[in-house]
Amino acid sequence: MSLKRINKELSDLGRDPPSQCSAGPVGDDLYHWQASIMGPPDSPYAGGVFFLTIHFPTDYPFKPPKIQFQTKIYHPNINSNGNICLDILKDQWSPALTISKVLLSICSLLTDANPDDPLVPEIAHVYKTDRPKYEATAREWTKKFAI
Amino acid sequence: MATRTRIRVRVIAAEGLYKRDMFRSPDPFAVITVDGSQTQTTETAKKTLSPRWDQAFEFNVTENSILIIQVFDQKKFKKKDQGFLGVVNIRVGDAINLQDRTSEQTIAEELKRSNSNLSVSGKLVITISHNTGGSQPSQARYQAATAPPPQLQSPVGPPPIASPSTRSAINQFPGTASAAAAAGSQQRPAAPQRQFSSFEDQLGRLPPGWERRTDNFGRTYYVDHNTRTTTWKRPTLDSSSSARPATNETVVASPLPLSPVPTAGGGGAGVDQTVAMQMAATGATTSGLGELPPGWEQRFTPEGRPYYVDHNTRTTTWVDPRRQQFVKSFGANAGYNAQRLSAMGPLPSGWEMRLANTSRVYFVDHNTKTTTWDDPRLPSSLDQNVPQYKRDFRRKLVYFRSQPALRILPGQCHIKVRRENLMEDSYREVMRQTPEDLKKRLMIKFDGEEGLDYGGVSREFFQQLSHEMFNPVYCLFKYASSDNYTLQINPDSGVNPEHLSYFKFIGRTVGLGVFHRRFLDAFFVGAMYKMMLHKKIVLQDLESVDSEMYKSLCWMFENDITGIIFETFSVEVDHFGEKKTIDLKPNGREIEVTNENKKEFVELKTEWIISRPIEQQFKSFMEGFNELIPEELVQVFDEKELELLIGGLSDIDVEDWKKHTDYRGYQESDEVIQWFWKCVAEWESDQRARLLQFTTGTSRIPVNGFKDLQGSDGPRRFTIEKAGDPDQLPKSHTCFNRVDLPPYTDYESLKKKLTMAVEETVGFGQE
Repeated sequence: MSLKRINKELSDLGRDPPSQCSAGPVGDDLYHWQASIMGPPDSPYAGGVFFLTIHFPTDYPFKPPKIQFQTKIYHPNINSNGNICLDILKDQWSPALTISKVLLSICSLLTDANPDDPLVPEIAHVYKTDRPKYEATAREWTKKFAI
Repeated sequence: MATRTRIRVRVIAAEGLYKRDMFRSPDPFAVITVDGSQTQTTETAKKTLSPRWDQAFEFNVTENSILIIQVFDQKKFKKKDQGFLGVVNIRVGDAINLQDRTSEQTIAEELKRSNSNLSVSGKLVITISHNTGGSQPSQARYQAATAPPPQLQSPVGPPPIASPSTRSAINQFPGTASAAAAAGSQQRPAAPQRQFSSFEDQLGRLPPGWERRTDNFGRTYYVDHNTRTTTWKRPTLDSSSSARPATNETVVASPLPLSPVPTAGGGGAGVDQTVAMQMAATGATTSGLGELPPGWEQRFTPEGRPYYVDHNTRTTTWVDPRRQQFVKSFGANAGYNAQRLSAMGPLPSGWEMRLANTSRVYFVDHNTKTTTWDDPRLPSSLDQNVPQYKRDFRRKLVYFRSQPALRILPGQCHIKVRRENLMEDSYREVMRQTPEDLKKRLMIKFDGEEGLDYGGVSREFFQQLSHEMFNPVYCLFKYASSDNYTLQINPDSGVNPEHLSYFKFIGRTVGLGVFHRRFLDAFFVGAMYKMMLHKKIVLQDLESVDSEMYKSLCWMFENDITGIIFETFSVEVDHFGEKKTIDLKPNGREIEVTNENKKEFVELKTEWIISRPIEQQFKSFMEGFNELIPEELVQVFDEKELELLIGGLSDIDVEDWKKHTDYRGYQESDEVIQWFWKCVAEWESDQRARLLQFTTGTSRIPVNGFKDLQGSDGPRRFTIEKAGDPDQLPKSHTCFNRVDLPPYTDYESLKKKLTMAVEETVGFGQE
C-alpha cells in the first residue's frame, strides 16, 4: 500500500526533519506534496528558498517519486521546466530511498553540480570553462527568483 | 509360411485397349512380374487394340505372391510413360487354390490405370494353372472368359485369411526378398486392385475398426472408425503380429555384397535386420509391400534403377515409399516403436531413412546434406533427456512443418492491398477471409503493380505490414522499456475502441507469416513469447517490460523490507483518477507482505504487471494466431526459438560485431578472445543468434548494426569481461550486453563451455 508508506514518511519527516528542507502534502491528496529547500550556504544559491512539487506514483515506492523545481534555478542539472537530472530519481531509485533522502541529495547537487552528465549543456559548459561566470549567474538568478 | 509352387501363367489376349494416338494403333506387349523378381515378357503384337499373344510362362509362387501384368506400347516404351496401356494385379492365392493340383482359372480382368493416371481401357485375359506339364487349350478358355462374367476367386464369404501373422506385408516379404535379391530385378508391382471386402485388401485384413473406401477419383483411402479419421495410408496390423518366417536361409545365402549383420541377438531378428539392411543398402525393392501410396508412381532411370515420383509433392526419391514402412517395422526389433512410427506418416520432403551397418536406423537430410540419428518426425518433447535435441531448432522446425495442420490447402488466397493504405487494406483482407482460406497458397498483390507473388511480393508484404502494425503510432504496440527495438503490447491501446479486433488481426497476420514461412520484421519482448507458449512469467521477464519495477522488485527480493515496504497482497490501479485496489490472491488486501512471504508477492506482482494490463489484447492476439497455428504445435519451441520462428534469423555480421565490442580485463589480441571469435565464426547462424540472445536478450540487431546496440540504460556496446573461473560457464548480463568469459586455457574448452552456456540456458538464471 503506497498510502501507508507515504504516511510513514510524513510522520518520520515530522519527527526528525532534515536540515535545510521541509516537505508535506499540498491538500487532502497525500500523493501530491510540496517541498522547499534552502540554498546551501557554501553555494551560489545561498539565501534562496527553492520550492519543489512531489508526485508519488501509485506504485510508490516501487517507482520513484516525480520531483520538479517550481522555482527557477541556474544549474547544469536542472532545466527551465524544473526537471532534475539525478540518478536516484531514475535508474538508481531504490525502495529504500525516501523523500527525505532524495531532498538531501538534491541539496548536495546544488553544492556539487555534475557537469559531466548535464541536462542543460550550455550551463555545464560555462560551469566547466568559466566557473566565476557560472557562480555570478547562479547568484543573480537566486536573487531574482528565490528570495 | 506357404511353400513355393510352380504355376503356369498363360497370357492370352487383351481387348479394347485405349487408343492413345489418333492415327495409329499401339504395338502392345505384356510384362508379367511375380513378386517383383521374376519377370517375363510376351512378344509384341503389331498395330492392334486387341492383341493376342497366347504365351505361357512359369513362375515360382506362394499363395501370397502378387502377379502383375502390365501392357505397354512397344513403340513408346522408351518414352516417359513407357507407352503404358494398363495393368492387372492378382494375388495368386485369390486366383487359384495352390493345394489343389488340378486347379485352373481363367481370368478376364479390366485393365487398371497406374498412378500416372493415363487413361486406360480394355480387358486382359489370362489363365493360371499348376504346372502340370501339358499346355492348356486356350481357345475355349478365352471364349469362356469373355462371354459370361468371369468367375473370379474374389472372396464372397469369409476372407481368405489364415491368421493375422501371415497377412501383413512384412510377413510376405522375406520369402520373396531372397528372390528379389538374387534376381536383382527392379521391377515393381503396381497397384493390385481386386474385389476385396471393404475390411481387407490384398495385404490382408485391416485392423479392427478400419474400413477401406474409394473416393470419386478411384483413390483408395482408409477410414478409422475408432477415431473417426481418414487417411490415405493403409493401416497396418499390430507390429507384434509381424511374426517372422521360419525359412530364411536363402536370404543369408544371398550373393549381395553386404556382409550380414552379426546376429548377436540370435535367431530371426538378426536375419531380419540383414534383410532390411540389404534392402536399404541396395535399393532393391520387394513385392508384397502392397501398392504405392496414392499419388506415387514408380519410374526407372535410363540405367534401370527404379525411383519414385510423389505427385502430391512433386518430388522424387530413390526410396520406395513402402520400404520406409518396411524398415520401420523391422526397426521394431531393434527397439523401435513401429506402431508409433507408422502413425507418423512419410518423412518430410528431402529426408531419407537409412540403415547404418550396425542396423541402426538413421536419417539423411538431403536439404542440408546432413545425417542424424533423430527421426525428424518425432517431437523433441519426447527427448527430454537429450538436451541437444531440445535445442535443435532446425529439427523442431522440420517436425513442426511436417504436421498436417501446417500443410497448405489447395487453392489460392488472394490479398490485394494498396501500399498507401496498407494497414487498413490488410486488415480488411485478412479479416474477411476464413482461416481455411488463409491457409491456401498466398497470392499478394499490391494495387497497380504487376508483380506476381512467387514469394518475393509476400515477403515484402510481411515486412512492410510489420512496420505498420507494430508502429507505436497506432498505439497497439510500444517499445520495451529496456531498449528501443523490441515490442510489447501497449496496455493503453484501448484509446482505439477497435483495438481488440486489431489485435486479432495482428495475431492472424503473425500466424499467417509463420504458416506461409514469411518473416515479420518484429521482435517482441521475451515475456510475450513466453505467454504465447503458456510458460510461467518470472521476475527476469519484467526487465524489458518495466525496468524500474524490475529493479525495485529485485531490491525487495534481496533486502530486508522491514519499515520500507508496507504492502499487502494487492495492487492499486489508477483508473481514470480513481484509485482501485485489486487482490493478487484471495483476500490479498488483508495479508501483509513480510520478509517471509515476499517471494510469493514478487511472483504474483510480476505476473500481474506483465499480463494483466494487456490481458484482453493478448487474448485477442492469440485467438487470431491460433486460427492459423494450433496452440499445441507451437509449444515444441522454446521462447527463443519462437522468436526466430516469427522473426527469422537476423543475418549476423560477425565482423561488425567484433568491431563494436569492448573488452574488460582482456585485450582484443588475447588468445581467449581470439578463440571466442573463432568459435562464433564457426557457428551456424542459429547458434550465433542464440549467443546474441544469451548476451543481449534478443537476436535482433539494431538497423545500423552493433554500434547502436542498446542496453537498459542507453547505448551499450557488446562487452566481453574477464571474470569467473575456467571451470565455470560464461555468464551474461543482458541489461548491459555483457558476457563474463572466464580465461579458458584452450580453444576446445572455451568452445564447449560457450556452447553449453548458450544452449543450456533456458530463461534467465544469470545474476
